[in-house]
Amino acid sequence: MSTMPSEVAIEAGRQRLRLWVTAGPGLVWIMLFLLIPSAILLGIAFFSADDYGNPVLPLSLSPFQQVAGYSLLGWDSGNIAIFLRSLAQAGTATLVSAALSYPLVFFIMSRPESLRPLLLLFIILPSWTNQVVRTYAWLELLGPNAPVSWLAHALHLVPPDLGLAPGSFAVTTGLAYNYLPYMIVPLYASAEKLDWTLVEAGRDLYASGARLFWSTVFPQTLPGLLSGVIFVAIPAFGDYVVPQLLGGDRALMIGSLIANQFTETPDWPYGAALTIIMLVFTGLGLVAFRILTRKLGGAEEATI
Amino acid sequence: MIPRGVRYALSGISWPVYVLLYTPLALVAYYSFSPAPNSTGHSLHAYNILLHDGAVAAALRRSLILAFGSAITSTALGTLLGYGLCRFRNANAKGFLAHLPSLIIYTPIIMPSLVFGISELIFFNFVHNATGLLGAGLVTMVIAHITFQVPYVALTVFARLSGLDPYLFEASYDLYANGVKSFFYLIVPVVQPAIIGGFLLGITLSIDDFTISFFTSGPGSVTLPIYIYGAIARKGISPEINALGTLMIGTIISLALIQFFITRHRERAGQLSARGKIA
Repeated sequence: MSTMPSEVAIEAGRQRLRLWVTAGPGLVWIMLFLLIPSAILLGIAFFSADDYGNPVLPLSLSPFQQVAGYSLLGWDSGNIAIFLRSLAQAGTATLVSAALSYPLVFFIMSRPESLRPLLLLFIILPSWTNQVVRTYAWLELLGPNAPVSWLAHALHLVPPDLGLAPGSFAVTTGLAYNYLPYMIVPLYASAEKLDWTLVEAGRDLYASGARLFWSTVFPQTLPGLLSGVIFVAIPAFGDYVVPQLLGGDRALMIGSLIANQFTETPDWPYGAALTIIMLVFTGLGLVAFRILTRKLGGAEEATI
Repeated sequence: MIPRGVRYALSGISWPVYVLLYTPLALVAYYSFSPAPNSTGHSLHAYNILLHDGAVAAALRRSLILAFGSAITSTALGTLLGYGLCRFRNANAKGFLAHLPSLIIYTPIIMPSLVFGISELIFFNFVHNATGLLGAGLVTMVIAHITFQVPYVALTVFARLSGLDPYLFEASYDLYANGVKSFFYLIVPVVQPAIIGGFLLGITLSIDDFTISFFTSGPGSVTLPIYIYGAIARKGISPEINALGTLMIGTIISLALIQFFITRHRERAGQLSARGKIA
């Protein structure tokens, strides 16, 4: 009797040791090289900046006042405009990719089963090329000397000698292009599981095409759509390469603003405070998504 | 399932989108064949310059070292991690500590790459100032790339292992295989596709990345994407940059297609032989 619990304890201890030996190195690696560094970054936001932008004591909240737009010169609405622009850009890019994803996904579903993986691959392929290459490629299509910009001139959409890029149109396009696969893949996964008998039932009840879509197809693919929204909106909101290459000075986004505080005009505490605010926005988005998903009763995610 | 009229509409929207997805990439290729100075007609002039550019060759070498060095390490770390979490984690454990591994694994995936890159920049900067080690360069880039690849490898291996029959492990113990033996003779062969998949995913992620590389690189560790970014920022897009872009696009697309058709061929062969055995 008395030996049993100790054997159990020894076995549990062995199990814990095995877990440490196998999972330990990877977990410690991520903690050391990501969790600790990001904790340092967030901590820096509560320091003052010296003349070179490095964090120094005393602790202060002035970086956050800077984020809100206050400086020695008074209040400036620039930062709020950048935040709103980033939200609008990420939102539009998400909408565009969702609007394109539905027809694309059901187009693929309407093709023979053997062709579907290939058609899906061809949507994902561009996103495997390097971020810089696939982004600057749009400069060639939308730049001042490209045919698309001539068309825009002819329609008086942009002033002559300016192209569609750089500018906010190019940023939206670039973001949607970069993150389209992140919308397609989860949406396709939920469309594959679609229960077509519900659609047939709706058709038997003489539902119109639009009605059929909204009451049978849309609710069933909603979990995929919601995952897609998260996968697109969050990275698009904080993207760095796209606004940097396609935005120019007229379409500055939060990502470039943060990066500038660590490269061109160093002010680490201010940059760290901006990062915190960006992460708060991101976190709020994630929480809202969790609540929405649970309410709609969908999205069983595979978790480790 | 889908009525004919709707199918026509879907095709009508989708084919142009497919064309649009490849138009910018095709334009890069088109402009890479632009004529040499003082001449007309398409030419391979830009490729010729590229071939004799030592900076590009050095950047390519660094990109390959970065991709393979980080993917090999992260495959080892990630495979062990996925294996350990699948086999040795107490499923009944509750509380913060039990959730800690998942929390750690998902952080690199969720974190915006800009925040990731800047965190590394600051961390390596502090470490370098304090100890003189880890100055920004290829080593810090490899470390950062390993960090974002490990979770993806771990998740791939974990997904494969959790689909396995748990009695397989029991059977290996009944045959007196110890932990190490069962790992190398049972686990590694069984999860081999997942390990290879994880490795390829790691390479793809490394090649695709710019932001994290940018913030962890030093003056002596310019890789291909950083070279292109710098060249565009300094003097705009040149035919040489387009030629380099074309080669990068062409390589990754060919590799992806080859991998796709090899996998498909194997799957088909597997199905056929399985059918043959039944018949």
